[in-house]
Amino acid sequence: MKNTLRQLFHSGKFVAGFVIFVAILLTVFIYPLVNPGDPLEMIGVGTFARPGTYVSLYDAVRTDTQTLRLSEADDNRIAKALSAEDRVAMVEWFTTMGIDVSDLDIDDTDALLDLWNANYDPSIKPQGMTMAKRNYYKRLNNSLQEIRAADEIILAEPDEESGALVKSDTISKTDYVNVSQVANVKNLPLGTDNFGRDVLKELVSAAGTSIVIGLIAGTVATLIGLSLGLLSGYLGGFADDFIMFVTNVFTVIPSFVLLILISYSIGQEQRGAAVVAVVIGLTSWTWTCRSVRSQVISLRNRDHVNLSKLSGHSMIRIVLTDILPYIASYVVMAFILQVSTGILSEAQLSLLGLGPKTTETATLGLMMNWAMLYSAHTNGSWWAYFPVILTITLISFSLNLMNTGMDQVFNPTLRD
Amino acid sequence: MKGYRKYFGKKIIWFLITFVIAVILNFFLPRLMPADPVAAITGKMASGMTDASAVQEIYKRYEEEFGTNKPMWQQFLLFCKNAIRGDFGTSFSQYPRKVSDIIGSAIGWTIALQLPAIIVGWLLGNILGALAAYLRKGWDKVLMPVSLFMSNVPAFGMAVILLVVFGVNLKWFPIAGGYNFDMIPNLSWNFIKSVISHYQLPFWSIVLVSIGGQAVGMRSMSIYELNADYVKYARFLGIKDSKIVGYVFRNAMLPQITGLALSIGTMIGGALVAEIIFSYPGLGSTMYSAVTAADYPLISATTLIITVMVLLVTFLLDIVYGFIDPRVKAAQFD
Amino acid sequence: MKKILALLLAAMMVVGIFAGCSGSDKPAETKAAAAPAETEAPAVTEAPAAPAESGAVELPRNETLYFAGQQWGTVNSWSPIGTNQNNSMAIAGNSGGYRTLMFETLYMYNFMDGSLVPLLADGDYAWSDDMTQLTLTIKDAAKWSDGTPVTAADVVRTFDIGVQVGNNTGTGFGAYISSIEADGQKVTINAALNDEGAPVNPLKVLDFLTGTPIAQAAWIDTVVDRCGGDTVAILNDAGDDVVWSGPYTKYYSDDQKVVLIRDDNYWGQDASMWGSLPVPKYIAHTIYADNAAGETALKAGEVDVCQQFIGNIQNLWEKDGLPISTYYEEAPYGVCLTMPTAWYNMNIPVLAENPALRKAIAMAVDYDSIIANAMTNQSPSFSDVPRSLMNPTDGEQALYDHAAVADLQWAGNDIEGAKAMLDAAGIVDSDGDGWRDWNGEKISLNAVCPNGWSDWQAAMEIVAAAGEKIGVEITTLYPEWSIYQTVFTSPSQTEYAIFMWSPDAASPSNPWQRVNQMMGKVYVGAENNWSGNWGQYVNDEADALINQIPLTTDSAELKDLYTKLTEIYLTEVPSFSLMYRPSLFHAVNESVWTNFPSGDDGRNIPPADCTDGYGIAALYELELVG
Repeated sequence: MKNTLRQLFHSGKFVAGFVIFVAILLTVFIYPLVNPGDPLEMIGVGTFARPGTYVSLYDAVRTDTQTLRLSEADDNRIAKALSAEDRVAMVEWFTTMGIDVSDLDIDDTDALLDLWNANYDPSIKPQGMTMAKRNYYKRLNNSLQEIRAADEIILAEPDEESGALVKSDTISKTDYVNVSQVANVKNLPLGTDNFGRDVLKELVSAAGTSIVIGLIAGTVATLIGLSLGLLSGYLGGFADDFIMFVTNVFTVIPSFVLLILISYSIGQEQRGAAVVAVVIGLTSWTWTCRSVRSQVISLRNRDHVNLSKLSGHSMIRIVLTDILPYIASYVVMAFILQVSTGILSEAQLSLLGLGPKTTETATLGLMMNWAMLYSAHTNGSWWAYFPVILTITLISFSLNLMNTGMDQVFNPTLRD
Repeated sequence: MKGYRKYFGKKIIWFLITFVIAVILNFFLPRLMPADPVAAITGKMASGMTDASAVQEIYKRYEEEFGTNKPMWQQFLLFCKNAIRGDFGTSFSQYPRKVSDIIGSAIGWTIALQLPAIIVGWLLGNILGALAAYLRKGWDKVLMPVSLFMSNVPAFGMAVILLVVFGVNLKWFPIAGGYNFDMIPNLSWNFIKSVISHYQLPFWSIVLVSIGGQAVGMRSMSIYELNADYVKYARFLGIKDSKIVGYVFRNAMLPQITGLALSIGTMIGGALVAEIIFSYPGLGSTMYSAVTAADYPLISATTLIITVMVLLVTFLLDIVYGFIDPRVKAAQFD
Repeated sequence: MKKILALLLAAMMVVGIFAGCSGSDKPAETKAAAAPAETEAPAVTEAPAAPAESGAVELPRNETLYFAGQQWGTVNSWSPIGTNQNNSMAIAGNSGGYRTLMFETLYMYNFMDGSLVPLLADGDYAWSDDMTQLTLTIKDAAKWSDGTPVTAADVVRTFDIGVQVGNNTGTGFGAYISSIEADGQKVTINAALNDEGAPVNPLKVLDFLTGTPIAQAAWIDTVVDRCGGDTVAILNDAGDDVVWSGPYTKYYSDDQKVVLIRDDNYWGQDASMWGSLPVPKYIAHTIYADNAAGETALKAGEVDVCQQFIGNIQNLWEKDGLPISTYYEEAPYGVCLTMPTAWYNMNIPVLAENPALRKAIAMAVDYDSIIANAMTNQSPSFSDVPRSLMNPTDGEQALYDHAAVADLQWAGNDIEGAKAMLDAAGIVDSDGDGWRDWNGEKISLNAVCPNGWSDWQAAMEIVAAAGEKIGVEITTLYPEWSIYQTVFTSPSQTEYAIFMWSPDAASPSNPWQRVNQMMGKVYVGAENNWSGNWGQYVNDEADALINQIPLTTDSAELKDLYTKLTEIYLTEVPSFSLMYRPSLFHAVNESVWTNFPSGDDGRNIPPADCTDGYGIAALYELELVG
């Protein structure tokens, strides 16, 4: 055993897979300690906040300021409000209005703005201009007015008695605050999802749930597959035929039909993550059963098994001591594959809306499902689905890498 | 020969039993769902009606028409009788279309998408796997982990990524439908071009995932065979390397062919994700919408097709292996 | 790489031929249809209306108006007198008015001002003094596609066959119209009378004018003959030979799209109607698998008019810079006509016996979050438009006395108020487990809507969160649609405690119809109830008021009735609305077409996707870009 383990940890593939898997596991355990709280709390109002650092504007206004005279500040402001395309669009407007723009310098912001203010009227509807374009000019006009706004923003508070606004403070263009001094700063490395949940926090929790789902599904599938495979292979005859028949029935009926029906019959309310995991296990044991059976068939006529039989050992004892140890490594590898299949199945089922019906726990599949329902993939909210795909892939990849490593250790003929 | 006859006879009997049980399950399982598709049809047409008794009258009429007011076993006998003639009844969700009609229009797309994708993925994967096993060293060091990684990207993940990168961002290929939105099916070069370009993303999303798995499998089978005693013996005898390699890969292919046959057998279920994400017409999406709409006749018919295909493939494999693989033969006869 | 591609192509061709062969096992008539395009058999065997030999096989982009969000499956029928049609482009009644592309109604409804614009009818209708008879005349110019004039007899036959076979027209209006008489071009509609000799409901008679497509009497006779008078056969007739009166007709249909083509002989180009033909030659609708696919196509410019909810729609123009716009350029972007509502199930004793509990939950819900999340702010908030029985249009808002019910309205997220209300009602946590109890048992409710209806699911999550804050356990439950619709339409169900459904949006009979759905006794106990009052709420006082409305014409009296009903509704809280919502979404992409209706253009064309009710007027004013 010790020797096997040492061998295993000499296999590069196994170690790589093991490291990735342990890293994911550690994250699942440690991250909630660093960032505690309910992973499903809807902190954002509205959908899909971009990844980044969010600074409370309310607190920032009340934080001590530092004056910084940055030469590029004004340029940055103008660039944000007025892009190169906007400038071209402004010239287009002038042309539509029949204004001579031959001596206008498109990069001269002041000249451009003067001409704009003199000639733009939101109520004009030029012939052939689309509604979308007219609306664009209206928005552009609004943002241009901000460039021309005064150098200071005035903060005012209502007077307690009269209710009139009294100026309390001003914010100038050169006022800066140090982010570390602002009372509330929230870092959302992966933004928020459609419900306004912190995606990173949810992802970590979901990875944990999905691993548990995988383990449950893998255990159920391996236990069923192993026991039926052992029975079928060892007993042969009618028992073999019958077990193979059951296995075939499970193979020929599409498993997702079984999954749906089982989950319907256990009732909607009970369709939690663990139940779905068991259901996945109940439908995915067939190939384990087949492979175990064929392994047992090749073992059952070996000399040591026959010797055991002659010695009058009970069937259970023969199976446990003379057959199981020989296929143990194989069963462990099959189990690992079943775990990764279980994780994938949950994700796939949830994506089709047939996964766990739970709102108390996050699973990778449910995250993917909600992201797709809210068209995250087509509206550019990559943070809502890509990390999920990557996490599933990494978990499954690490398990398979370990499996390949083990394969090479246990099957000397496979060694490079 | 007598052994063979007994072996096949037994096989056939078990397959027949499996088939019968599967047909029964395919019929009854969907009907156990606590849903009432007749109510759905009624609802579709009754929205906005103020007169509640009129709605009930409609309900009764459809219950009568679909025979859902008859006992289950009568419905089953009727189903079997009609199914033999290729009539699977009328769809609930796409009423009044015939189930056979819906399947007829969808199955072509699924086969056209899946069959080439499975074969191409299989061929490319096996070539890469064999190369990896044969060349080893650097090639293998890169290819093996990459293949393994690719094979672990979930099918829907690959589909979504392809859709976002090549469809939404690069706009190289259309992302939905079977042919261009401004066309009507016809036999023109433009139309064929449009079908082909719509074909790309769903096709590659299937191929890319399966290449990895096939390559990993082929690689280990090949290494296994390359290290086998007969290869060492052949080398010892001085047989030409190219000849040995030929034997090795032929032997390594055997389990791979089983895999190919099985994935062809299960291809309808396999098309589900690609078809749904790319809104590609086909049986996968038909089956999915049938399930969500509790459309029993359509569910039973699609699952029956899957059942028959898988059964046929496993049966053929069993027969073929019974003939060609001495190991199976020995195992069966002792 | 080239080799692989070649291989792939070859494989495709082989498969194509294989599919072609399998297709030809079918009966002769489908084979004939498949003949012109053998390799594409799977698609073409489906075509009930293959384009004529001379017809275009590629629809010229600048002659075609593309839609999304209406047609979700292969078209199954072209008969306007059948039932179960899924033919959304040609045969579809919506609360925004009937879709008059192929079949026409007598009047077109305009939900912007509630007006009825004559279509087949000539000028205004007239009521008799006691509202028992409504008369109108048919336009002389109105013609069927076969050239024969549309007559009053066609209206009569359309109604009669409806009553005879029980199609939507018959079941929808049979109880309100006793008969229709024809005299040349003059139509007389006799309202059904109640025991006192008063009309049952004149409002529903008006719904008939805008909601019933008129079919040709001669064609109806053909169908009846062909079906040998069998009711089910008539209802299921595919109507391939149908005669129409509208500006478009079927051109092509398969499981991926449906295309209508303009009828250049359309009678409406007569000066007495539109004076011209609608601009687009083709109306096409690709059948998308889901909302995401339709949305992507809209962004790509493959769709001109999109009837789909698109979250954060402003991003399409603000961030992506696409030429897409909505009816209004600012939130809520469209015209909200209905309010998706959470219904309390009165079969559950704790809900039925505790109005305080019903109101407390409703008060605690954070509607601003629902509107921000589920509707991405495409709905006015409940502080902008305080809750009542009315939709947010000015016309309906003017129907009740806002000041009289102001104390009863709530804008939501009032946790303390809700807690106080529960405490006062004696619904407290008596065993210290953190959850409130009633009759010694923990209150445990579920909040239910169909799986995959993402905006509603988001709303139910927020309702459940509100329950937690006030100590009432609410769990969410999302059954599949097929199950949901079986349960919530059953009058005796106790499985769903709080569940969602939308009441009616807009039609001549609204808001009466909606109020009736909220509290009307007529629906209580009805099996397969798709019509209203899904929570089985009974209030005799409210019911009496509801029954008075259809016969009330005095506007002050009407306002008084509606105000009283609103008072009862807000006190009793048999249900609570979660958001306002358009009945039709209307987003347009101006890559090809422009001059779509908008809120500020003064044309008074409703945002009804250029097809429904008076919304079809937009088709006559479209222009090509550039």
